Amino acid sequence: MFHVVAWVLWLAASAMVPLLTQHPFYLALTIAGAWLVFQTVRQISPEAVMWGSLIKLALFIWAFTVPFNALSVHAGQTVLFSLPDRWPLIGGIVTLEAILQGLINGLKLFTLLLIFATFNAGVDHYRLLRLTPAFLYQVGVITSIAVTFVPQMMVAGKEIREAQAIRGHRFRGLRDLLPLFVPLLTGGLERAVGLAESMEARGFGGNVRDVSPRKELLTKIGTLAALLLTLAGAFWYAYFAATQEIGLALIGGGTGLLVCVFWQLGRRVSRTRYHRDTWRRRDTALTLASLALGGGLLTARLAATSLLSYSPYSPTSIWPDFNLGLGLLTLLVAVPALSLGKSHD
Amino acid sequence: MIELQNITYRYPKSALPVLQDLSLTVEEGEFLLVTGPSGSGKSTLLRCLNGLVPHFYGGQFAGQVRVCGQDPVAAEPRRMSRYVGFVFQDPEAQFVVDAVEDELVFALENHAVPQATMRKRVEEVLDQLDIAHLRSRRVSTLSGGEKQRVAIAAVLTLQPQVLVLDEPTSQLDPQAAEQVLDALVRLNHDLGLTIVLSEHRLERVVQYADRVLYLSGNSQPPLLGEPREVLDQVELTPPLVSLGKALGWQPLPLTLKEARPHARKFERALRSPDQSTNQPTIHPPTPPSSSPSIQLCDVWYAYNGHEALKGVSLDIAPGEFVALMGRNGAGKTTLLKQIVGLLKPKQGQVKVMDLDTRRTDQQALIAHVGYVPQNPGALLFADTVRQELDFTRRSRGMALGGYESLLETLDLNAHAERYPRDLSVGERQRAALAAVLVADPEIILLDEPTRGLDYRQKKALVAFLQREKKRGRTVIMATHDVELVATCADRVILLGDGQVVVDGSTREVMTDSLVFASQVNKLFRDARFLTVKDVLASCRSG
Repeated sequence: MFHVVAWVLWLAASAMVPLLTQHPFYLALTIAGAWLVFQTVRQISPEAVMWGSLIKLALFIWAFTVPFNALSVHAGQTVLFSLPDRWPLIGGIVTLEAILQGLINGLKLFTLLLIFATFNAGVDHYRLLRLTPAFLYQVGVITSIAVTFVPQMMVAGKEIREAQAIRGHRFRGLRDLLPLFVPLLTGGLERAVGLAESMEARGFGGNVRDVSPRKELLTKIGTLAALLLTLAGAFWYAYFAATQEIGLALIGGGTGLLVCVFWQLGRRVSRTRYHRDTWRRRDTALTLASLALGGGLLTARLAATSLLSYSPYSPTSIWPDFNLGLGLLTLLVAVPALSLGKSHD
Repeated sequence: MIELQNITYRYPKSALPVLQDLSLTVEEGEFLLVTGPSGSGKSTLLRCLNGLVPHFYGGQFAGQVRVCGQDPVAAEPRRMSRYVGFVFQDPEAQFVVDAVEDELVFALENHAVPQATMRKRVEEVLDQLDIAHLRSRRVSTLSGGEKQRVAIAAVLTLQPQVLVLDEPTSQLDPQAAEQVLDALVRLNHDLGLTIVLSEHRLERVVQYADRVLYLSGNSQPPLLGEPREVLDQVELTPPLVSLGKALGWQPLPLTLKEARPHARKFERALRSPDQSTNQPTIHPPTPPSSSPSIQLCDVWYAYNGHEALKGVSLDIAPGEFVALMGRNGAGKTTLLKQIVGLLKPKQGQVKVMDLDTRRTDQQALIAHVGYVPQNPGALLFADTVRQELDFTRRSRGMALGGYESLLETLDLNAHAERYPRDLSVGERQRAALAAVLVADPEIILLDEPTRGLDYRQKKALVAFLQREKKRGRTVIMATHDVELVATCADRVILLGDGQVVVDGSTREVMTDSLVFASQVNKLFRDARFLTVKDVLASCRSG
C-alpha cells in the first residue's frame, strides 16, 4: 500500500471533486476512477469486504435522494405533474429539474462515500493515528479501537442471529429486536471493559510527566477560559446579528486557546514511535498526482468558476458543458490503481 | 519477589469477601499455579499483583502487597506494567491494534522507549515466543494459540520480572494450549522469569509448576505446597491423579511417565489370577435398530471458496451419543450447523427425522433439534434465567412453565431469578443449555460444551447428558475434551479437513489413537480401560 501521508493526500484531492462541483460528468469520471482504485485495493486488503457494505449503503441513500428532492423542492420550469397544495410539505408542482437535482445530490454523496470507503479499505488505521498530534492521541486511540471493533461486532451479530433463530426467534415486530440487540450490546460492553483493563495493565497513558502545581492550575484556568470564550462568542453570534464578526472572533480566540492548552497537555506525555515508514517512488507519484488534481480543481474554482458550475435549474440549457482538460484532470483519481496494479505489496 | 500479607478483598456491592486473610510468598524464578473451582478468587488474586484490584474494580482492600519491591496499591497498574506483565483469559479482548508488530510495541511507545531499543526488544520477543513468522500478520487472522502467544509477547516487550496469566489456555483447544504452555515453560527455564498462572484444568499444567496454590472458595483456607502434596488433599483432580489416589500409588504420579511403572505392576497383578480377562472385549457399534434420526449423504459445503465439508456421509441412530472430534477448522461446527439447518449443503443431502433440510422450514427442523452454540453469550439476553426459558417456549408456541425439573437437574434452581450475564462461566453455559433444552428436542447438538468449565461443573454436565441419553435423546457434541468423550460418548467421529477420517465406537477409536486417547487409556494402552471407573471396576472383578 501507499505511505499514509500520500494516501491522505489522495483522499483530500479526490474528495474535492464532489465537494467543489456537482457537474455530473466530472463526478461520473471520479466514480469510475475511485471504483478502479477500490477494486485494486480489494485484492490487497482483507478489510475491503467490510467497507464494501458502505458502498451498498451509499447506493441505497442515492435511491432515496431522488424522490426526496422531487417532492420537497417545488421549483423549475418543466412541470411534470402537481400534487394537491393542501398536502403538507409535498404538495405543489413536481419538476424535471428537481428530479435531476435529486439525482445529482445522490451522485455527489455516492462519490464521496465511495472515496471514503476506498480510503478506509486501504489505510492502516494505526499508522493514520500516528499522524495525529500528541494532544489528540487519546482521541486517535479511541477511533482506532472503534475501527477494530466493527468487524468483531459484525461476527458477533451473525452468531447471535443464528443462535436466536434456532431457538425459534422470528422477527414480527420491534419487540423482537431485543433478543438480537441486547446480547450484541452487552457483549460489546463486556469486550470494552476487558480491553480497558488490558490497556491499563500495559501502561496506557501512564507516562505523564509531573508538573508544578502552578502550571497545573494555569492549564485548568486556561481550559475554563477557552470554553467560556467560545460560549460567549456563540451567544454573540446568535443574538447580535449586526456585529457577528465579534462573535466569530471570540469563537476563534476560544478555540485557539483550547488548542494551546491541549498542546501543552500533550507535551507532558512522552511517547516514542516505532515505525520508520518507507516512502517509495509510487508515493511520490501519488503525491504529485494528488497535488495536481487538488491544485487544478482549486484554480478552476477560483479563476474560472463557470467551468465547474452546473445547475439543472439554469434557464439556458439542461445539458452541462464539458471541458476536456478538467475531465482529464479528474481521471487522476485513478492513479493509485495504476501504480498498485503492478506489484501487490 | 512477590509477598502478600493478610489480603482481604471484597468487591463493591458484594456481601462476602472473595479473598480472606490470604498470605503468600513467591520466590524469584518460581512457577506458581493457582487453581480451584470457578468463583474461588483466582482472577482476583492475580489482579492484586499489578494493582488492577483494587484500582480498576474498587471495593474494599486490606493487607500488604509487595511485588518486585513495589506496592501495587500505591503505584497503580499502569506503573506496575514495567514489573508485572498481565495476560488475560480471552485472546480476543486484549488487542488494541490489528497489526501484530504494532501490538507488540503498543506498551513500549506508551512508555516512551527509544526507537532503537524498541527494535531490539521486538526481535527478542518474536524469537522467545517463536512467532517471528507472524510479525506482519493481522491479529484478526490468527488462530487462538497464536493470538495468545502474541498477547504474551506484547507484555514481555516491557521486560517485566513477573508474568501473570489468568487462565490463558481455557479458551483454546488442546494443541493451541500446548503451544502456549511450551512457550511459558521455556521462558521460565531459560530466562528465570517468575510465572504465576491460574488454570483449572490441572492435567495440562500441573507437571510444570513448582508449587500449587489451591483456592477452595467457600471460605476454607487455601492449600499451598508442592503439586503432589496439594493434589493429595484435593477432591477433584485429573484422571491420572485420581487413579493414583484410588490405587494408593506412592509417590503420587503427575505425568504418564511417572505413572507407567505403577501401571505395569498393576497390570501384572491383574493378569495373574485370570488370563482370559486380557482379551480386549471390543463391542462393535450397535447396529441401528430403527431408521436413523439423522442422515447425511455425500454433503459438501464451502465458505467463501474454502471447502469445509468434502463429501461427508453419516447415519446416526436415535438414542446414540456421538462425539465429533478433530482439530480446529476440521469442519465440526459446520457439520452441526448443517444438521440444525443453519447451513444448507451445496451438494448432497441432509435428512433430520426424515425431513430434508433444504426443503424444510427452519421452524419445523428446530422442533426436533436443539443446538447450543459455543458461546453462551450469543444466546442470553433476558433479565432472568426464567425469562430466558419462557422466551424459548413462547417462540415455539409452547405453554409457559413446567420446567422446574430441568432447572433442578441443571442445578440452576438457585439462579432462576438472576441476571444470566452475571453468572459464572459454568452457570452461563448451563443457562444456555436450559434455554435450548426447555423445548425438549429429540436431538441435542452441543458445540464445545466444556470450554471454561471446572471439574465439578464438568461432572454435573456429564451426569445431565447421560440422563438425557437414558431418556432416549440423541446427543451429538463437537469437542476437544477427550476425557469427556471417554466418560460419556458411545461413538466417535473423527473429522479431518472436512472428511470423516475415523468412525467407530469410542473404545475402538481411542485405543487406536495417540492424540485422541484419554489419559488412562494412554497409560495402559488397553481397550478395556478408558476411564478411572473402568480400571477400578476391573480391579473389583479381578
